[in-house]
Amino acid sequence: MAPVDIGERLRALPGGTAVTLKLDPREYADHYFAILNATLRDVGTETNAHTIYVAVTNPASFVWGLAQALDVLPDRISFVDAISHIMMDYRDPLPNATYIETPRALESIMLRVEYLLKKYPHERSIVVIDSVNSLAIHNPPELLSEFFHILLNMLKSRQVLTIVLEVAEEETAAVESMLNLVVDETIDVAREGP
Amino acid sequence: MVPPPETAEPRPSPAVGGLMAPATQLERCVTGVEGLDNILYGGIPRGNMVLVAGSVGTGKTTLCLEFLVRGAERGERSLFLSVTEASDKLIQNLSTFEFFRTDLVTNGSLVFVDLPVLYDRLGLEHEELTEEEIAILIRTIRDLVRQLQVKRLVLDSLTSVGYRIRRDERIRDFMLRLGLELSDAGCTALLVSEIGPTPGRYSLHGVEEAIVDGVVLLWNARRQGDILRVLQIIKMRGTTHSQAQYVVELTPIGLLLAPHLKGAHQDGQ
Repeated sequence: MAPVDIGERLRALPGGTAVTLKLDPREYADHYFAILNATLRDVGTETNAHTIYVAVTNPASFVWGLAQALDVLPDRISFVDAISHIMMDYRDPLPNATYIETPRALESIMLRVEYLLKKYPHERSIVVIDSVNSLAIHNPPELLSEFFHILLNMLKSRQVLTIVLEVAEEETAAVESMLNLVVDETIDVAREGP
Repeated sequence: MVPPPETAEPRPSPAVGGLMAPATQLERCVTGVEGLDNILYGGIPRGNMVLVAGSVGTGKTTLCLEFLVRGAERGERSLFLSVTEASDKLIQNLSTFEFFRTDLVTNGSLVFVDLPVLYDRLGLEHEELTEEEIAILIRTIRDLVRQLQVKRLVLDSLTSVGYRIRRDERIRDFMLRLGLELSDAGCTALLVSEIGPTPGRYSLHGVEEAIVDGVVLLWNARRQGDILRVLQIIKMRGTTHSQAQYVVELTPIGLLLAPHLKGAHQDGQ
């Protein structure tokens, strides 16, 4: 199958869409960078766009380092970091990040996303959730399903483009069926290529 | 100059409109705390006296302060009666929030009064207030509300006043009379009630919750050892309201509410 241009596909999606990007665990590093390139640079730097990046897999500082390598400007992205505190790595907070003590505080993730949407109103708002697998480590499937159901519907009603990162083959059946229920589209990077 | 208050229309709710629509809609006092207005389907019925009950650190004072600031912004003169904390310190804390504007204080839209100073001026010196002293206190609050045309009032806290009233029948009488005066003036009031972390009671004397028109309860719930700040409307006369629990965050732009997820075991309330 011919490789897809993820950035092009994401750019074509209207506000209010929720999409899952599936990564191949065997080519995780390549796929992860390709996805950041597509989400933060190709879509995130569109005129009047702002990205809210929910960092659970890697700390905001790590993602911000990669974003800088992609020439993303600090006023184009803000972070909800739910992992640095639990890693006891909170010495140098980023000015464009808000920190949550634990990935178990799912309501806090919802509220910080809402806070950033209100604080940085843009024509094109993008929320990236990285990742469903990391959230599943810390939260039971019923709670996670409830979280995604409420959050994604809230974001849809506000015309936000939501991008959920998922590592293929690592998700449970419960998480998989929940995502099928709440997202509009799945781009299988593992199958289609970055 | 304080602009005239906007007329607040109730919003559609699951029970407002359609087959469950009540015969009459009461005018609302839009709190301006977006999440709270949503779960009250448009705000507090104007003139209601509402208990804001919660243990320490649950956000009672911040909720009340945002209610007053949002009101002052809408042209409704707002009065904060402080018993537990000096006004200067309150304003200093308030200035850390983006929703606060100092000009609301300087132009008289948002007024702070320290109740202990008022006690001294009125000569209310008995440790337990007499019936006459209670009457003086009510008259003074009434006069303040009338003279300043106050539309929103916060008493922080009713519990501290209750420590000086002590007897159940006197606190009941104090609240009934205060409620009538405020309602007559079209003034919507939030009375802060400090309670312990154990559930089952909303006030010091246990009679307050029966007299007020509404009870907003705040508490710290636990999930796997983590604390979540939770809010629930226990009662609100004159309107239907959400019965669900909501997690609250105090953000620089004000209080935000999200549904309390129920998927996991809770060992809190």
